[in-house]
Amino acid sequence: MTAGLSLPSLPALPSLPALQQYAAGLTQPMLSGGPAAYDEVMLPDGSLRPAWKGLAEVAVTLTDTDLRRVDREIRRFLENDGVSYARPGEDQGPWRLDAIPFVVDAAEWAPLEVGLAQRAELLNAILVDLYGAQRLLSERVLPPGVVYSHPGFLRVMARPSAHDPRPLVLAATDLGRDATGAWRVLADRTQAPSGMGYAMENRRVMSRVLPELYREASLHRMGPFFSALRSALMQCADDEVADPRVVVLSPGTHSETAYDQAFLASNLGFPLVQGSDLVVRRGAVWLRSMGQLEPVHVILRRVDASWSDPLELRKNSQLGVVGLTEAVRRGSVRVVNGLGSGVLENPALLPYLEAACSLLLREPLRLKSVPTWWCGEEDGLTRVLDGLASGEELTIREVDSSRSLTGQPVAELRRRIIAEPARHVGQQRLPLSQAPIYDGDRIRPQAVTLRTFTLRYGSAYRPLVGGLASAAGGGTGGNPTKDVWVLKSEPTESDQGLGEVMPIAAGQVPIAMVPRVLEHMFWIGRYSERTETLLRLVLATHTHAEDFRDRPQSAGSGSLAVLLDAHARLAGAPSSSEDHDAYFRSILLQPGRAGSVAQSLNSMREAAEGVRDQLSGDIWRSLSAIERAAADLDVSPHSHQVSECAGRMLGGVLAVYGVTANMMRDPGWHMIEAGRALERGLQLALLLRSATVRHGIDVDRLVLNALLTTSESWVTHRRRYRGYLRSATVLELLLKDETNPRSLAFALGELQRHLAAMPTSTGSTRPERLLDDVVEHLRDIDVTTLVAIGGANRPNLEHYLDGLYEHLTRIGSAIDEFHLAGGPLPRSFGVLRGVPR
Amino acid sequence: MRYRVWHRTTYSYDGDVTDSFGVAYLVPRELPWQIRSSSELVVEPEQADRSQDTDYYGNLATYFQVTTRHQRLQVTGTSEVEVHTPAYDLEALAVPWEQARPAVRPELPDAWRASDFALPSPLVDQPDPVKTYAAQSFSPQRPLSEAVTDLMHRIHADFDYEPGATTVTSTIGEVLDKKAGVCQDFAHLALAGLRAHGLAARYVSGYLSTAPPPGRERVVGADASHAWVAVWVPGPAGRREQWLAIDPTNDTWVDDRYVTVAWGRDYGDVPPLKGVIFTESEKSTLLVEVDVEPLG
Repeated sequence: MTAGLSLPSLPALPSLPALQQYAAGLTQPMLSGGPAAYDEVMLPDGSLRPAWKGLAEVAVTLTDTDLRRVDREIRRFLENDGVSYARPGEDQGPWRLDAIPFVVDAAEWAPLEVGLAQRAELLNAILVDLYGAQRLLSERVLPPGVVYSHPGFLRVMARPSAHDPRPLVLAATDLGRDATGAWRVLADRTQAPSGMGYAMENRRVMSRVLPELYREASLHRMGPFFSALRSALMQCADDEVADPRVVVLSPGTHSETAYDQAFLASNLGFPLVQGSDLVVRRGAVWLRSMGQLEPVHVILRRVDASWSDPLELRKNSQLGVVGLTEAVRRGSVRVVNGLGSGVLENPALLPYLEAACSLLLREPLRLKSVPTWWCGEEDGLTRVLDGLASGEELTIREVDSSRSLTGQPVAELRRRIIAEPARHVGQQRLPLSQAPIYDGDRIRPQAVTLRTFTLRYGSAYRPLVGGLASAAGGGTGGNPTKDVWVLKSEPTESDQGLGEVMPIAAGQVPIAMVPRVLEHMFWIGRYSERTETLLRLVLATHTHAEDFRDRPQSAGSGSLAVLLDAHARLAGAPSSSEDHDAYFRSILLQPGRAGSVAQSLNSMREAAEGVRDQLSGDIWRSLSAIERAAADLDVSPHSHQVSECAGRMLGGVLAVYGVTANMMRDPGWHMIEAGRALERGLQLALLLRSATVRHGIDVDRLVLNALLTTSESWVTHRRRYRGYLRSATVLELLLKDETNPRSLAFALGELQRHLAAMPTSTGSTRPERLLDDVVEHLRDIDVTTLVAIGGANRPNLEHYLDGLYEHLTRIGSAIDEFHLAGGPLPRSFGVLRGVPR
Repeated sequence: MRYRVWHRTTYSYDGDVTDSFGVAYLVPRELPWQIRSSSELVVEPEQADRSQDTDYYGNLATYFQVTTRHQRLQVTGTSEVEVHTPAYDLEALAVPWEQARPAVRPELPDAWRASDFALPSPLVDQPDPVKTYAAQSFSPQRPLSEAVTDLMHRIHADFDYEPGATTVTSTIGEVLDKKAGVCQDFAHLALAGLRAHGLAARYVSGYLSTAPPPGRERVVGADASHAWVAVWVPGPAGRREQWLAIDPTNDTWVDDRYVTVAWGRDYGDVPPLKGVIFTESEKSTLLVEVDVEPLG
């Protein structure tokens, strides 16, 4: 065991263990002369805090080189898992995890844990009171304006009929340290707390990239907490329900924490649904599944309450479930947290929590909040305005928004506060503690906050022994986060203090086969097939283009023109200013180009994100391999890189096949395969149009070869026809040969099979009827007739392919209407007005 | 007076509606000055599900869902009520208006609850001009009922009753600018002026019985739903609160011609009917018929 580090006499050499350098930096005299912040790792004398002493042997030997490796691996893991986060108003960006964990020892955690449990109990009691007797108001503990003016106070849930004794099941608490190093609550998150999925992912990654440190630290594993969460959610259902169905309600893939929601849902084993997947009938909530309605008993809600029911809440919301409020009032479904819980997120409650705690729990409040003043009261207003005038560091917040008004000039803040005092609070700005964060070069101290999660399990509230730490501060993109390691007091202590929880049963997540999910699956299939064909065509064409550049008069240049025509049909023609290289790059890399590989991949990723909870994580590995290939091409000017990149991307697309091959044979899988088969037919119809015009025997040969290559049938053709290459042989193999998996006949057969496997299929549904016609027509058609020559063209083939394309497109729409349509969106009644008397 | 109130709303669509969800405030409240002897609410096509519940403010809210495919939805409420003119404690009404503000009377047992109606609400904000407009009626120490009645007179005198001058999305500021509107606008305007002075006031939804023009028969179905406001009047020591109901549209205190259905912070809390439909249909037409029939 290493006790303190001897400092600061050591020279700052690159080989020096990173934490020592960090400590040396800390003990340098501060330039500002201000007091040093509380450091999470080091004591003021430069020795390690007790929590870190146990880890010292490994931690202290970590060098910059080690950290660089760890940091790189973290990025790679997160990329492979497709972990993303979006700040409000921004696009999804990568989630960031720091290489150095946030370590708390048992002695420090214990009081925090008690404080968090008490706080959750208090918050629950406040909810019960505000939506019931309102003693907090009648006994003048809370000013009425704090509650009545807050949009989180939902009167539709404050009816006698809506009584819920335990509306708060899950709370998140944001904490920061004050100047004395004590933890203070910065904010309570009760509406739909996010971050547990990220916390799980952080832990998963850290245990893989720092296995030695992870093993050495005797820390609380998080697994039992999530088993407890699962069990707590199941217990939220009415006691009489034998097999309760729990769903996670998400606002969709564009939500800032979409990853968190999907990850949590799939790890808890509950389906991830959106509002349009659910419907209210007879005052209960049902899941639209394969043309049937299945009862839903518990909804873990990630949609803000005001958006949850266009009938009684925000009326233009498309994210909610019409009638949900009524279903909740009738007790047929439990929403977690309760719809009214947003009222607790009001920072104007903070000044009154101590009094509320004495009234409702008859105990002193253990975990103090950051000093806060509500401007709706005279004293608070004066305090805040005086503070602003004297240059005090205050954070001004609006009571109904989670973002602060930091950054606005003082005059503007004053103006806003005076205009609407009751809408504003002022908060003391805490110094916060600092922790070492690796910035890609070295570790530097950065201010941090801690998010914890507390669950009502059985009759008590239990905090997750762990959490999510984040670097504080703005900047674009996500701030780095840290895995939180809470050490056990002794190695025999049970994880989370929850020895008795049943682990989550392994096995397939029950899949919600709602139309939206099937639609995403269908398009995953279609886009992956579309991408594959185009990549193969790029590969086949690129060789011709290289030929053309070297020998412009050869047959290759003639075939190149024909193949570029095929590209134009699949992905749009090159613009006049584009040379071949630029054109291929654009097809591979430009998502803005309609029909491009990049666009198909983006769409495939989007479709996959919509069903993230139901796909193996391998899919993200495959997609990120594709993205890395694309990124490499983007920075390399060499022409040969085009085919190199297309080849790597093709590898990634083929890996997606591998992923779906391992899926359960459920309707979702059948829709992926149906999408693939349909798209293969469509792509063939477009591709083979290149064989309808004749250009002389040499060019035609090259084109036919390229078509075979693109259809991955070149080897088969050679084996079967021994080098005898004619339009007829190619068409026989690509259209009619039922044993060739790349042929039209095979694709149509697959489509028939997968459509027939859908539980709602009867054998005579419209998509099946339309498909039968195409199959019969193909069976009747004779290749010798198709290749018949008329002038420079093959008019029969041309006619057939055009008809085929049109017919298959119609089948696509029929599938969409029959299997994937979710029905019309909800709309409000026309508005009624007082009519003249 | 006894009345039979009949209120029918008909929506017609140019295509099929698969699902209709609705919430109706059509059943009159029971009040010290109002007895409801019968009430019936009919939804056509017949609803698959329905419930009646007492809402946060004690109103009766009816929830229904129609799952029969339809192109016309009709909701008809019929009630019989007996109404008396509310009697007020005159001593309480004479309180200086400053003393009728819940925020300055926190010691009163009802003040905290009344505060709900003294704060801005979703449809009733308090722009500066409305406070300025109302201020003229609130001279220092003026008795509450006098100040409130004066504000009512002024709204009636300064604003034209003009259907179409405003829409449902019009703000208080727009009504002030146009100097015109309908009963909801005048009620909202009065609420804004009263609340801007710290008074608590609620929006009341109901009906007004109107006499036909002299020499003409009463025309069935030509009446309308109506809206007015009620102001919080704190009870003198030991006595309970009262709410003084005034009608700025007709420049009168509410009497036995007024049938109260429901109240809330503003129109949005108690619309006679609101709902959500599922349809591909693009167009809908709305017909509202109201009849307030005096039964003697």
